[in-house]
Amino acid sequence: MRRLRDWWANPWGKPRFLVVVTWAYIVWSIAPVLIAVLFSFNKGRSRSVWQGFSTRWYWSDPTQSVLHDPTLRGALEQSIKLATFDMLIAVPLGVALAIGLTRWRGYGSRPVNLLMLFPLVTPEIVMAVSLLLVFVTLYHIQLGTTAQTLGQVTFSISYVVLIVRGRLLSIGREYEEAANDLGASPFAAIRLVLMPLLAPAILASFIVVFALSIDDFVVTDYLSSDASTQTVPIRIYSSVRGTTTPALNALASLMMVTTLLAITAALLLYRRLSARERRPEQAAAVGDIATLEV
Amino acid sequence: MSPAVKEGTIELVELSKRFGDVTAVDGITLHIPGGEFFSLLGPSGCGKTTTLRLIAGFERPDAGRILLDGKDMAATPPHKRKVNTVFQSYALFPYLSVADNVAFGLRRRREPREQIRRRVDEVLASVRLDGFGKRRPSQLSGGQQQRVALARALVLSPSVLLLDEPLGALDAKLRKSLQLELKALQQEFGITFVYVTHDQEEALTMSDRIAVMSGGRIEQVASPEEIYEEPGTVFVADFLGISNLMNATANGSGDTRCRLRLGDFELVACRGDLQARGEARIVIRPERVRVEPYATDGSGENRIPGMIERVVYLGSADQLVIRLATGDTLHALQINDGMPRQYKQGMPVRVHLPAEALRVLHERPPAP
Repeated sequence: MRRLRDWWANPWGKPRFLVVVTWAYIVWSIAPVLIAVLFSFNKGRSRSVWQGFSTRWYWSDPTQSVLHDPTLRGALEQSIKLATFDMLIAVPLGVALAIGLTRWRGYGSRPVNLLMLFPLVTPEIVMAVSLLLVFVTLYHIQLGTTAQTLGQVTFSISYVVLIVRGRLLSIGREYEEAANDLGASPFAAIRLVLMPLLAPAILASFIVVFALSIDDFVVTDYLSSDASTQTVPIRIYSSVRGTTTPALNALASLMMVTTLLAITAALLLYRRLSARERRPEQAAAVGDIATLEV
Repeated sequence: MSPAVKEGTIELVELSKRFGDVTAVDGITLHIPGGEFFSLLGPSGCGKTTTLRLIAGFERPDAGRILLDGKDMAATPPHKRKVNTVFQSYALFPYLSVADNVAFGLRRRREPREQIRRRVDEVLASVRLDGFGKRRPSQLSGGQQQRVALARALVLSPSVLLLDEPLGALDAKLRKSLQLELKALQQEFGITFVYVTHDQEEALTMSDRIAVMSGGRIEQVASPEEIYEEPGTVFVADFLGISNLMNATANGSGDTRCRLRLGDFELVACRGDLQARGEARIVIRPERVRVEPYATDGSGENRIPGMIERVVYLGSADQLVIRLATGDTLHALQINDGMPRQYKQGMPVRVHLPAEALRVLHERPPAP
C-alpha cells in the first residue's frame, strides 16, 4: 500500500496523472473520427453495423460511390476549388495589407488595426446574412462560386493579416533598412529581404486559409446558388435527413486526408525554410501554425 | 563641390528631429572632415543614434541640412547615399550565406559575377574571415557576425561608414581586440567612420575626435585628450568617469587664475572658465588629487583637511574616498606601485588640489 502511494506521489517520477488525462482526451477526440473513417470502408449500406471491408463507397460502386455519384464528386471538387481560390486571393492581399498596416503611423491606423479583427469576432451567421444581402441587392454579384469565393476571402484575410503582422513585428525594420543601406530600392528590399523572412508566416497563412475554406459551412452555404455549388460540408449536412450511405463517410474521409496532406506538405516545406536560418524567433512561427490549425 | 573638400566629408547644419513631443536631435551643427574617426558619445536617449540614422537617411530631418562632400542629401533616399551602416544588431540576412550577405550590395549594383566573387573574397580576408563564405550567419560567433556586418558595408567602398554601437553585444575582452581592429581597418581603408557609442573608454581609445551629446545637443567636440583633460561642461566631466564635482563660489578676476571659495577655504584654479563669478562648479580628476599626511604643513596653496572614509582596492590603484572639512566627498586615486599602503580608513589627511588641475565649469555649453 505504501509502495503504491510512493509510486503515485513520487515527486521525481513522471507526471502520471497528466499523462493519463492527455491520453484520455486524445482517445476521446479521435475515436469518433476513426470510427467514421472505418465505416467508410463498410461493405454494406449501414453506417453503424460493420459488414466487412470494401472500397465500394470510394470508387467501386458504379452509381453511389464518391467517384461515380456526381453530387458527391462535385462537392469535393467545389470544396477544393474554393479553397484554392481563397488561398490565391486572400494570402497575397492579406500580406500586402499587413505590411501596409504595420507601416501606417498616424490617425486612423489604430481603429483600422482593430477593425481588422472584426471578422474574427463577428458571429459567422451575421456575417453570412449581411454578405448575402449586400452581394444580392447592392453589388448584384451572382450567387455561386464567385460569391462564395468573395465571402470566404472576406473573413480569411483577417487571419492572414494577424499571422503576418505578428511576424512583421518580430522581424522589425532593421533588415529592410540594411537592404536599403546596401543599395536596394524600397521595393527590392521587400522582395529580396522581407519576403524570405516572411516565408514561414506566409506558409502558415496558406495552411490556415485552406483549412478555413474547407471547413466553412455558414458563409459558403448562404452564398451558394444550387446543387452544383455545394461543398462537402453542405452536401453532408443536407443529406443527413435523407437516405445515407457510407459514401458520405468516404467523402468526409477524403476531405480529412486532403487537409492532412496539405498540412504535412506545408510543415515539411516550413522545416526546410527554417533550417536555413535557425534563429530562436522562428520558433514563434511554428507556434502560429500549431495554434491556428483546426 | 569645392576641390579642397576631401571625400567623405560630412556637414550637419542646424539639424533637428522630433518624435512626437520628444526632440531627439536639437539643432546640431557639426563638421566631420573626410577620413576622420569621429565618435558620437553619450548616454542612451541623447540623440546619437538618431543623428546617425539621419545621416544614413532612415529618418527625415525636421529642420537643418546634411551635406555629404558638399552636396545636400535632403532629396537622396538611403539606397542612393554613398554611406553604409553597421547596425547594432548587425541585421545580417539569416537566410543568406556569409558570402551572399557580403555580395548583396555588389549585386544591387549589377557588377559582373566574377568581379563580385573576387571582391567578396578580398574583403572577407581583410576582416580575417576567409573560408567562412559558405556558412550561415547563425553558425558564427558574435564577433564573427560583427565582422561580416563590417565586411558587407566595406565591400561597397563607401566614403562614410556609420557604426551604431557595433561592439555593444560583445563581451569585454572581445570588445578590446575589436576596437583595435576597427581602428586599423579605418586607417587601412582611409574612410570616414562615424561611431556611435555610450562607452567612454571605447570612444577615447579609437576616435580622432569625439562629440559628447546630451539631450539632443552637443556638449563638446574635441580630441579624446581634450575631452578627458579639459571637459568643457559639467555633463562632459561627469560622463567621462568619476570626476570630483563640487559647488563653489567663484570670484574670477580675469587674469590667469580664478579665485574660489569652497566652504571656509580659499582655492585658486588655473583651468576652465577663469572669468566666472558667483555660483560655479569645480572639478578635479581623482588621479590628480594629492593626498598628504595630516602632519605636513597645511599652509600651502589649495590645501584642505579631510578624513579617509573608505579605501577601495581597484587592482592597479587604490581609490580613496575622502570626506573634506567642507562636507564634500572627494575621490583620489593612489597608484599601486608596490609600496606599503600609507592611508587607512579613518585617518586624517590633508588634500592638495593643484591649481593647474582644478577646473571651473559651465553647466551647459556656451551659446555659439
